[in-house]
Amino acid sequence: MKKTSIILLVVIAVCVAGMVMMVGDFSTYETFATARKKEGKEIHVIGALDSTKSVVYDPAKDANYFSFHMKDKSGEITRVVFYGTRPTDFEKSTELVLTGKMVGSEFHCSKILMKCPSKYKDEQTAYSAQKNS
Amino acid sequence: MPCQQTGGIISTYGQPLESIKYNGEHLLPGQMGHLFSILAFVASLVSVVAYFISVRQTDELKKASWAKIGRWAFITQAFSVFAVFATLYFIISNHLFEYKYAWQHSDRDLEVKYLLSCFWEGQEGSFLLWSVWHSVLGLILIRTSKSWEAPVMAVLAFSQICLGSMLVGIYVFDYKVGSNPFLLIRQDDPSLPIFNNPDYMQFKQFMDGNGLNALLKNYWMVIHPPVLFLGFAATIVPFAYAVAALWTRRYTEWVKPALPWALFAGLVLGVGIMMGAAWAYESLTFGGYWAWDPVENASMVPWLTLVAGIHTMLAFRHSGHALKSTFFFTLISFIFILYSTFLTRSGILGQTSVHSFTDLGMSGQLLVFMGIFTIPAFWMLIARGKEIPQMKKEESTYSREFWMFVGALVLLVSALHVTFFTSIPVWNKLLDISGLRKLFGLEEFAPPTDVMLHYNKVQIWLAIIVGLLTAITQFMKYKDTPKGVLVKKLGWPTLISAGIAVLIGWSMRIFYTDYGAGFLLGVYLMLFASVYAVVANITYIITVLKGKTKAAGASVAHIGFGLTLLGILISSSKKEVLSIDSMNVLSGYFSKESGQNSRENLMLPKGLPVQMGPYFVTYRGDSISAVDNDKTLYIVEYERKAGLDAPVTEKFTLYPDAYLNVKGQEGITPNPDSKHYLSRDIFTYITAVPRKDIPADTLPYTPHVIAQGDTVYFSKGFMILKNLNTKPTQKNYHPEPGDIAVGAEIYVHTRDNGDFNINPIYFIRDSSFQANVPDTIAPLSLAVKFSKILPNENKVQIDLKETREPMDYIVLKALEFPFINVLWLGIVVMAVGFGMAIRQRVRAK
Repeated sequence: MKKTSIILLVVIAVCVAGMVMMVGDFSTYETFATARKKEGKEIHVIGALDSTKSVVYDPAKDANYFSFHMKDKSGEITRVVFYGTRPTDFEKSTELVLTGKMVGSEFHCSKILMKCPSKYKDEQTAYSAQKNS
Repeated sequence: MPCQQTGGIISTYGQPLESIKYNGEHLLPGQMGHLFSILAFVASLVSVVAYFISVRQTDELKKASWAKIGRWAFITQAFSVFAVFATLYFIISNHLFEYKYAWQHSDRDLEVKYLLSCFWEGQEGSFLLWSVWHSVLGLILIRTSKSWEAPVMAVLAFSQICLGSMLVGIYVFDYKVGSNPFLLIRQDDPSLPIFNNPDYMQFKQFMDGNGLNALLKNYWMVIHPPVLFLGFAATIVPFAYAVAALWTRRYTEWVKPALPWALFAGLVLGVGIMMGAAWAYESLTFGGYWAWDPVENASMVPWLTLVAGIHTMLAFRHSGHALKSTFFFTLISFIFILYSTFLTRSGILGQTSVHSFTDLGMSGQLLVFMGIFTIPAFWMLIARGKEIPQMKKEESTYSREFWMFVGALVLLVSALHVTFFTSIPVWNKLLDISGLRKLFGLEEFAPPTDVMLHYNKVQIWLAIIVGLLTAITQFMKYKDTPKGVLVKKLGWPTLISAGIAVLIGWSMRIFYTDYGAGFLLGVYLMLFASVYAVVANITYIITVLKGKTKAAGASVAHIGFGLTLLGILISSSKKEVLSIDSMNVLSGYFSKESGQNSRENLMLPKGLPVQMGPYFVTYRGDSISAVDNDKTLYIVEYERKAGLDAPVTEKFTLYPDAYLNVKGQEGITPNPDSKHYLSRDIFTYITAVPRKDIPADTLPYTPHVIAQGDTVYFSKGFMILKNLNTKPTQKNYHPEPGDIAVGAEIYVHTRDNGDFNINPIYFIRDSSFQANVPDTIAPLSLAVKFSKILPNENKVQIDLKETREPMDYIVLKALEFPFINVLWLGIVVMAVGFGMAIRQRVRAK
C-alpha cells in the first residue's frame, strides 16, 4: 500500500472519529416546554417578543439585567432573562432566536439573535446581541 | 442634469406601466445602466461561444480568428461592466432616490467617502464589484496568458455570464432572473397608491434615502469589500487554468502560469478577510476580530484550500508528485468561493448569522451558479483522472513534498470541519427536502451553543500541526533529505523556541483554564508551535538562504503566519474584560449563573469616577460629531492610579461614539474607540445610554391644600402662597369674556438657584368648564398647578411636580486585548512574503 493512501486513510479515520465526537456539540431548537425537561442544558429557542408584557432594562439599577417575555412556537409565554444590555431596536423584532437554558420557570439566555423587518418591505435583517464572544 | 421624461416606459419586468407622467425623475442613467448590463451579459455570451469554438478548432487560422472574436467580445463586456459601475455610482452620488438602490442604501447626509460603502451594502452592488474585478483580471489574462488564452478566458467569460445574470433583472417564464440595481422605486411595488401620484418624488419619504447601515460607516468598510472581492475574483484564475488543463489535456504545463495567480489570490483573499476582521474589531461590538460567524467562516474556507493548493503546486513543480491533489485543491477553492456566496446571499443562514445579506429571492440562481461550475469541473477531473500523469516512485518520508502534502491535508481537514458546522442550516434544509427527517424523526439541528469553544477546541490542534510543519518542512529537501541534516539544523531553533515559549507563557501568566486542562495543553503547544514557526523560518533565511531575499518569500510568509497564530493565541487567551460590574454581583445575583455570565457592562454616571481594573474611569459628557450629525461622541476619561486619591500615573481620554435612534431606529449603534499601546489595546464601547428625547416625566403631581400665607416645602427649597389675584395675567393664559379666573401669586425660594415668582391660574370658562394654566420654573424642573378652590375651608389646592433630575450616564464595555499588534504585524509580514513569492515566480518566467 502506498504511503499517500495510508495517510489518506488515517486522515479519513480521524475526520470520522472527530465528526462522531463532535455530534454531541450539535444543539437543537426547542420550545420552552421541551427545554424545561432538559433544564440546565444549553439549547436554542425560537419565538417572538410578547409585547403586551413589560420589557425591563434599567441601567441605573443594574446595567447587566435585561428581561422580557417571549412567546415560543407552541404559543407558550415565558419570562426571559439576559445578563447584558438591551439590544438595539429590540421592540421591533419579528423573531427572536435565543441561546440559553431554563432555570426554574425562567429562561436565561446568553445570546439573542433578532430579526427585524426593514422599513420598506418585508425583507429580514438580522441583528444580534451577544456576550462573551 | 435634471431632465423630465414621460412615464409609460416599458418596465424592466415587461409590463407597461400606466401612462402617468411622473415629475422629477431622472430616467436616463437607469436606462443606460440597464442597457449596459444587458450588453455585458450578451457580450460575455458571445465571448464564451467564440472562445469555446476556438478551443475546439484544430485549424490554427480559424482558432486564432475565433479567439479574436472572443477577445473583442470580452473587452466589450468589460467596458460595459465598467459603465454599469460608473452609472450606479453616478446615481448614488447624485442622490437620485427614484432609484430603489440609492433610496435603500444611501442618503443625503452621507459623507463622500462612504458613498462607495453604499455600493456594496446591497447584493447587486457587490456582485457588480465582483464582476468588475473579473473584467480587470480578464483584460490582464488576455495580454498575458498566451497559448492558454482561449480555454482560460472561456471559463472566465462563463463566470461573467453567471454574474451578469444576477444583475439583468428580467423575467424568463415567470422566473425572475437577477435583480436589476437600476430598478425605480415605483417599479418595485407599482401597486402602492402613492405611485399613482405623478409628483410622488415630492413626498417626504422620497426626498431622502433610507441611509447606510451605521455599522458600515467605517473606513474599513470602504476598502474591505473591494479587496475581498478581488480575492474572490482572483481565485477563479487558477481554477480556470486547471479546467483549461483538463479540457485541453495539457495536464502539467498549467501549474507554472497558475502558481503566481494562486499566490496573488491567496495574498488578496487573506488580506481581505483580515481587513474584515479589523473592521469587526474596530466597529462591530463582538468584542473581537473573529467570532466564528458563518459569514467569516465561509470566506476563510477557500483561503485554507487555496493555501493547500499553493503548497501542492510547489510540491509538483519540484518533485512531480501531488499533481492530482493540485487539481483538486485548485478546483475546490473556487467552488468554496461559490458555496460561500450561496451561504451568505441566499438567506439560508438566517437563524445562525449576524451579518449575512438580505435574501433577494435568488437562491435558485445561486445554486445553479454553483452547480454549473462544480459538476463539469469535477466530472472532468474524475473522467480524465487516469490520464493525469503520476510519479511511479513513491515520495520519501524524508522529503519536503511529502510533508507539504500532509500539511495540505491538515488544512483541508480544517476547512472541512469549519464548512461542516457552518452548513448546519443547509443540512437541515437537505433533511427537509429529502424527507429523511420525517423518515427518522430527526429534530432540527442547531449550531453549537458556544460556537467559539466548539471551533477553537478543534482548530487549535490543527493549528499546532500546521505551525510545526511550517517550522520543520522548510529544512527538508525536495525528493530526499540527507540523514542528520534536520537534527543539525533544527536543534538550536527548537531549543530557542521552547525557551521563548516558556518565557512568554510564564511572564504573561498564560493560565487559560476556562475550558479545562486539555485545552490549556493545546494553548501551550500552540504557543510553542507558533514561536517555532517564527524562529525556524528566521533561522532558515539566515543559515540556509544566507540572507538572500530573492527566494525568501515563502519563509517570510511563514514568519508572518507564525506571528499571526501567536497574536491570535495571546490576544484571545489573555483577553480581559475591564468593565466587570462587581457592584451588583453581591446584591442578589451571586450564584453559579453569575460566574458563567460574567457581568460585563458597567454603568458610569456622569462625572463620577468608577474603578475598572487599574483605571478610574469618568464619563465626562457627550458631544455631537462635527462631521456627522447623527453621531454622538462620548467623552470617557481614563486615569491610572492606585486609589481614588492616589496620584495619577497615566491619563488618557477615549471617544467611543454611537449613532442614536437613526432613521426611526430605537436604540444605539455604537462604534468602539481604543487606546493603542504597542503591547495592548484598551478597547471601549458604549452599550446603552439614557433616552434623551423622551422626558423623564413620570412623577405624578403631589397635591397640597393650603391657605394664604402657608408654606410648602420641596426638594430644592420652599414656596409661600402670597396672594390670590382675581385679575391674573400670565403668558400662557388667554382670557376670554365670561371667564372667572383666579391666579395664585407664589413666591419661591431656593437654596442654590435664587428666588422666583410664579403665577399658576385656575379658571372657569362658560360657567361650567374648569381648567387651569400651570406655571413652571425651568431651571428647577418644577411645575406648579392651581387645581382647585375650596371655598368652604377658604383654602386652595396647589399641585407640585418636580421632574426627577434626568440622570446622565453611559453603560459601557471595556476590554483589554494584549498583543493584538502581533496579529496585525503577522498579517502584514505574511502579505509581504506572499508578495515576494509572487515576484519570484513571475520573474522565473
